[in-house]
Amino acid sequence: MKRLTATAVLLMILAAVTLALADEQLVLIVSADSKIAQLDSLELRRLFLGLTVSHNGNRLRPVLNETDPKVKEIFLQNIVSMSDITYDRSLLRLTLMQGQRQPTAYKDIALLIKAVADDPSAVSYAWSKDVVHDPRIRILRVLWYD
Amino acid sequence: MPHPCLWKPRLYLVLGLLWANLAHAQHDHSSGEFEVFVAAEAFHAAGGLPRDEADPWINADVVAGITEHQFRVFGELYVTPDETDLERFQIGFEFVPETVLWFGRFHQPASAWNTEHHHGQYLQTDITRPYIERWEDEQGIIPEHITGALMESRQSIGGDGAIQLSAGIGAAPALTNGGMEPLSLISGNSGRHGLSVTGRLGYLPEYVGASSVGLLFGQDDLEARYGLALPSLHSNRVHLSLYGAYIDWTIEPWRIVGANYYVNVALDQTARNESFISGYLQVERQLPKQFTVFGRLEDSARMQESSYVALFDDHDGDVEIALRRQALGVRWDYARRQALTLEISHIVSLHQEANEVRAQWSAAIP
Repeated sequence: MKRLTATAVLLMILAAVTLALADEQLVLIVSADSKIAQLDSLELRRLFLGLTVSHNGNRLRPVLNETDPKVKEIFLQNIVSMSDITYDRSLLRLTLMQGQRQPTAYKDIALLIKAVADDPSAVSYAWSKDVVHDPRIRILRVLWYD
Repeated sequence: MPHPCLWKPRLYLVLGLLWANLAHAQHDHSSGEFEVFVAAEAFHAAGGLPRDEADPWINADVVAGITEHQFRVFGELYVTPDETDLERFQIGFEFVPETVLWFGRFHQPASAWNTEHHHGQYLQTDITRPYIERWEDEQGIIPEHITGALMESRQSIGGDGAIQLSAGIGAAPALTNGGMEPLSLISGNSGRHGLSVTGRLGYLPEYVGASSVGLLFGQDDLEARYGLALPSLHSNRVHLSLYGAYIDWTIEPWRIVGANYYVNVALDQTARNESFISGYLQVERQLPKQFTVFGRLEDSARMQESSYVALFDDHDGDVEIALRRQALGVRWDYARRQALTLEISHIVSLHQEANEVRAQWSAAIP
């Protein structure tokens, strides 16, 4: 009986730790209807720098998550590898050179999830805890964890 | 009451700003394909040298683009108190990712500076552009606006690098006794326009980066407007051949921008050809607190002997053709998408030497 109780307590602790870890995971997300299987780091960087990235003939649409300063910091460091001002200028430069559309940015997580869920070509990133139980969203992979 | 001819540019400016605000309001945060680059400038020259006609005290560059699947439409409208011009209007089709065929009016790809900065002053670290890169309506001596077809392509080559190829073919500007007149999309055109073929081949160490180094090429037939002989040239047609090399390299916190052009001028009614060389090198260094210092050297050879170059000097007392220039300045990006810049320069022109001080506020909206 004691062994069973100890195992149950251990499992509860493990579950709590896993949940805590999930809170600190930034994941790459697409719509549940999206046909995108995976995106590598270079494709992701090209996409968020405003260059054309296509899958199955469909042009992908980057969606910026600006709901949390920490998410933006991780995005700049881990996805585009640029400072805020350099990233902003890169986007402006493409607009000036070719009229390229800049990524749409959201400061409200509910609006961001809806935008991604509604568009099979949209690609974004979010805290795992915000999307892991949402059936409209599919997680491609973990981008960052603490 | 302002002069009637000033109403139109001011109206475009106000409408542009309203449109920008509307675009801003429609999204949760700035997004989309619409930008207005605005700049205001103060100028002082030693010795009472008049302000160059090419330097408006305020200007707005309205850029808008639409991307629908593989189709693109793009326009750039430049507005000053004295001028409104549709500088670029391009309709394109993207065959494969990052390979686009455009039709319309574009900036010729053999200009290292203008294909990077266009008319957007905010994205240019300094205030002035090198004299050899000036626009046609600023007494520029190289054709910059071509109407025709432009192919742009960027393709990966092993690892992270890429090759960038741009090639344009179309109607070159017409030549007058004082400048060039490119084909206009919003006003009448007179005179004949010869053929322009221009290109640029660049190597990018990073596919997604801004650094590149490469070669430039251009062949332009400039026809005298109305078919009249240009008295100072004794010719009805000028054939310009341009060969150049450029570098735009960033190793933070440093950036180097440079280009060198060899220009051959062939005249149709004389056996005498001319050639000259012009180039510049700009070095920038980022400092803490969003400050950037920069310095630029411009130099040339045989420009003062060229009757073609002399054609662009209208003897109105300001500096139109610079043989050499040394510029030094500092820029402060004090807020998001806003900067203040101070630039001092010493210029040696065809007829005089001058010292200038410029101060500029520039911004991108939204």
